[in-house]
Amino acid sequence: MKLVTYDDFKPGLLVGDRVVDITPALGGLGPLDWDEAIPAIIANYQKLQPELERLSRSGGDVPLASVRLRAPNPRPAKILCAVANYLELGARPKPPIDFFFKSPEGVIGDSDTVVLPRAEASIFHHEAELAVVIGKECRKVSAAQAMDYVFGYTAFIDVSGRNLGRVQASTFFGKSFDTFAPMGPCIATADEIPDPHKLQVRLWVDGQLRQDYNTDDMGNPIPDLIEWASGYMTLNPGDMIATGTNHQGLGALQDGDRVEMEIERIGRFTVRVQDPLKRSWPKGVDEALAARMRGETQPAR
Amino acid sequence: MKLVLYNNYRLGILRDDRVLDVSSAVADLKMSNRTRLMPAVIAQWDKLRGPIERASQGLTGVPLSSVRLRAPDPRPPKLLACFGNYKEFTQRERLPQDMFLKSPESVIGDGDTVELPPHQATIFHHEAELGVVIGRRSKDLPPTREALDAVFGYTCFVDVSGRGLGRPGQASRMGKSFDTFGPMGPCILTADEVPDPNKLQVRLWVNGELRQDYNTDDMEYTVPEVLAFASHYMTLVPGDFICCGTNHQGLGPLQDGDRAEMEIQGIGRFRFSVQDSLKRTWAREIDREMAQRVRGG
Repeated sequence: MKLVTYDDFKPGLLVGDRVVDITPALGGLGPLDWDEAIPAIIANYQKLQPELERLSRSGGDVPLASVRLRAPNPRPAKILCAVANYLELGARPKPPIDFFFKSPEGVIGDSDTVVLPRAEASIFHHEAELAVVIGKECRKVSAAQAMDYVFGYTAFIDVSGRNLGRVQASTFFGKSFDTFAPMGPCIATADEIPDPHKLQVRLWVDGQLRQDYNTDDMGNPIPDLIEWASGYMTLNPGDMIATGTNHQGLGALQDGDRVEMEIERIGRFTVRVQDPLKRSWPKGVDEALAARMRGETQPAR
Repeated sequence: MKLVLYNNYRLGILRDDRVLDVSSAVADLKMSNRTRLMPAVIAQWDKLRGPIERASQGLTGVPLSSVRLRAPDPRPPKLLACFGNYKEFTQRERLPQDMFLKSPESVIGDGDTVELPPHQATIFHHEAELGVVIGRRSKDLPPTREALDAVFGYTCFVDVSGRGLGRPGQASRMGKSFDTFGPMGPCILTADEVPDPNKLQVRLWVNGELRQDYNTDDMEYTVPEVLAFASHYMTLVPGDFICCGTNHQGLGPLQDGDRAEMEIQGIGRFRFSVQDSLKRTWAREIDREMAQRVRGG
């Protein structure tokens, strides 16, 4: 199933190019704020599934084009991002696992706008990533058990302001501006994805293909990421783990850009970029960064 | 006013070491989860303050020692922490401002236990900090006193920090995000009772030994400047929590069996203990090497 939110963050299912309202199935969950619905649906998914399947066949739906799609997981309690977790097309060895937190306030959805802050970053990059949505509370799970705790997957852009703050401190705070966490179009439930380590990830800026890589280049696979993260902290339904990006293809985001991102079997979504300061950077792939990432084990910040 | 959560996350007022049950004043707030109560109370504070005060009138309450206190902001929507941010009793130029996010899952309260994980950190430090609780939705606050209007109140926070984790040559902030690594308490002292958050004495003891003892007037970036910086990056919402950094002069290890107490003048004191299933040991004293290194910048 493909879980979405739309209009005023109403939860729904994406069936082809139509959206099914699933609020009739949620009465038993009690009153829920806009930010509680998706985690509650995820936590109660097994119980809800028969009714959701019935609704998805019932035809009580509207065309996708007639609704305003929102982020499918609009307010995760935690967004954990894997630090530079790709082999860069085989150019570097598997890195040790590390993470940072990204502000959940940064989440935006399809057709929303990334607004660049006035902070004097050296550049703002797009980082297209496969993100995992946690399905059940877990703590200290082994890699062997970890996939049992995955609810689904979504397409995620870790927008990154570089060279801010104390550059050597690895705070990654330049990734936590409002609007810096676009995701969409849906959460594809785990049963829709036969192998999350065989998915093509693509990102275009103004129609130009920039990132185009397969998740088979991931350094530490998803079970290992979940084992590591849950060894530090309790993960809860709706928590997100972004699995890192392949830096070959990163480029600047700047005023007026139209960004599309797609992961096969999940879908495609679009965001725009606005910069009140109208700064400009070279358009196209950041080849210097790409070369640095191929040649060094130090991740960019 | 000193607001607390206690027992099954009931709302109370702390007055002269007695807890007054004011939960009747917030009974209309329907919560799917008790940990969402405090942000909801804060968001509607203008409307709820009167009823909460009235609910407390005539109550004698119960002794603080008879209840189980909880962290007063047990699952902040966001938990932000200043990087460094003290002058370390020097006159040095201030360093660039920076912050990071800590797991909101890490928060524990008075009487709870910090559980050291089996991870091979070089040491686990206590960092006693002033905690700021956000009162209203805010973006781009000014670095001046006006920013303090966005503050709901203040509390004591210990940023427990596992060192030496992550990749070689690249410090990781994740060593601060283990479950139980965010002790907080005893109450939220509302902002109207804090004339100047940059004139507060902060103290932390381990097993009765005074380790940290500094004033918030040593901050590099004052509370309004911290609020301005954070709210330039992101929208702050009611219940968000900002810890203002620590003065490292006095940091020391936390280890199995330790009993720690932290106090900020006017806010109060709370306690927590430390458990380590691996029973590792470090010198039970202030980490002078760390203090020296941080003083050097």
